[in-house]
Amino acid sequence: MSIPNTQNKSSIDLLDFIQERATIGTWEYNPISTILNWSIQTKKIHEVPLDYIPNVEIGLSFYKEGYSRDTITRLFTNCIENHKDFDIEVQIITHTGKDKWIRAIGIAVVENDKCVLVQGLFQDIDKTTKDSKKLAFKELQLRRTFETALVGMAIVDLEGNWLEVNKSLCETFGYSKEEIEKLTFMDITHPDDLRKDYKAMMSMISGKIDHYETEKRYISKQQETIWAQLSTSIVRDDKGQPLHFVAQINDVTEIKKTSKKISQLLTTTEDQNKRLLNFAHIVSHNLRSHYGNLDMLLDIVKMDLPETTDNEIFPLISMAVNHLGETVENLNEVAAINIQKDLKTEPLNLLENFNRAYSSISALIIDSKTTISINIDPNIVVKAVPAYLDSILLNFLTNAIKYKKPTEPAKIEINTRIKDRFIVLEIRDYGQGIDLIKYGEKLFGMYKTFHKHDDSRGLGLFITKNQVEAIGGKIEVESEVNEGTTFYIYLKTHE
Amino acid sequence: MNKIDVACIIDDDPIFVFGAKRMMELSDFCDSFMVFKNGQEALNSLKPIMIAGENVPDIILLDINMPIMDGWQFLDEFVKIESHKLLTIYIVSSSIDPVDINRAKRYKTISNYIIKPISTDTLKEILQIELAK
Repeated sequence: MSIPNTQNKSSIDLLDFIQERATIGTWEYNPISTILNWSIQTKKIHEVPLDYIPNVEIGLSFYKEGYSRDTITRLFTNCIENHKDFDIEVQIITHTGKDKWIRAIGIAVVENDKCVLVQGLFQDIDKTTKDSKKLAFKELQLRRTFETALVGMAIVDLEGNWLEVNKSLCETFGYSKEEIEKLTFMDITHPDDLRKDYKAMMSMISGKIDHYETEKRYISKQQETIWAQLSTSIVRDDKGQPLHFVAQINDVTEIKKTSKKISQLLTTTEDQNKRLLNFAHIVSHNLRSHYGNLDMLLDIVKMDLPETTDNEIFPLISMAVNHLGETVENLNEVAAINIQKDLKTEPLNLLENFNRAYSSISALIIDSKTTISINIDPNIVVKAVPAYLDSILLNFLTNAIKYKKPTEPAKIEINTRIKDRFIVLEIRDYGQGIDLIKYGEKLFGMYKTFHKHDDSRGLGLFITKNQVEAIGGKIEVESEVNEGTTFYIYLKTHE
Repeated sequence: MNKIDVACIIDDDPIFVFGAKRMMELSDFCDSFMVFKNGQEALNSLKPIMIAGENVPDIILLDINMPIMDGWQFLDEFVKIESHKLLTIYIVSSSIDPVDINRAKRYKTISNYIIKPISTDTLKEILQIELAK
């Protein structure tokens, strides 16, 4: 290749035109005269004024320090000394300080085994280089994303072969990359899900759909069923011909297992609820009817055969039957509380209700010489079922009296305070107290009693707790043996 | 008149029937009884009696839970008989289930819901109400 330097005007114009359009400049170096010539375009690429006169040293100094300058220096020297042509892509820093990728071509013109001229091309390739670098970077980014994604990703060809798979996908299925790339997706799909997948694949190839999402099963290398969410799209070339599929496979086996467990639990709970209802029915009907008969028969015996009642045994039978009746009633209450779904709560003034409970046991209070100090704010209104509130208040009051210290009359303090959205009713007695470490867990259990007391049947607290919880409250307790007990009854405030 | 002519007990529990009868005797409640083991049996016998209008019971003590035809089914059939309003029906059940109690309130023919066991006092109350009619 030689650049003619004696041309007619029109062909020089053409050359300039080409140079400018293609951003290609020319240069020439005469090693004998050490004159370096740059074409206009070469100067433009260097961003120097058009009257700029370069020399070799200056020319080389434009190249970026390091790799670019070292390479060009070596190749340029080699071209003059050993007549080796060069064609490289390196960076320069222009006169105005810009980084620029350029392509430099040098050809030695040799006469008598001596280099008499070096001719060359100088091309601005900055934009294309930077674009392709950018592209390469993007490709790398995508590749990294693909590789390290937590979700399984794959490229699958139109026959279903795994072309590329990522780490996560291999982990999901238990195969190595090499192993899985010898298989098709059909090989590891659960047989029952094959048809559906195949149909979707065909629809995508035919262009009916371009995206497909499903929940399906795969079979891992360990022969385990893997539940996964699959999302596939088809990639087509610019003519619309299908190329391959891109698939995302998200392992949901654990989620499936958990949700199965939850639904099993739900079924069990529903079953148990049904059984509880049944149980409640047995209590409310069957058990009651037997008790009713016994009670009725005892009445008849009293009237019909009064002589048979005049002994030690009859009153005991009578008592046993009465206790049976009470137990059945209590059980019934418990069952009713647990079954009732929509309780009709209403705003209730706490002090009014407390006073009512108080007066209903006034005889007991006077008899037992109990002292009660009541500090209930008369403005407090709670949200409760009237019957429940009555029962709750009555139960705590009678309990406090019942479990007084044997040696002295009961002393009870009632206080209220507001905590969050609750009214806390504090009922403090200075009675026997309960060993909470020993009995704490059993305190509110069914039929648990802690005191040797004739009248302690132990269902009271259990029912009370159920009632408090049924209206959205809770109970806390503090107690010390021989010091007394404080119950904190959290009741919902009326809004 | 100071007692009921005929009282009818519809209940499958022989102990209750025995007890109820004895209590009625002891409290001088009625002259005679009719006892049926379930709703179907009662319906079969009561229908012709009521159509003939002879020896019709004044009151019925009706249990709810019975085999073959329970108390509710009996009621649904019984109200179809024209002269059913001449009788007073008491539900006598050991069920304290509010569902049952509320259901009983929906029947106009039902005078009251009595929870077992019954006592002579209960019977006396019924007697007073009936005789006052």
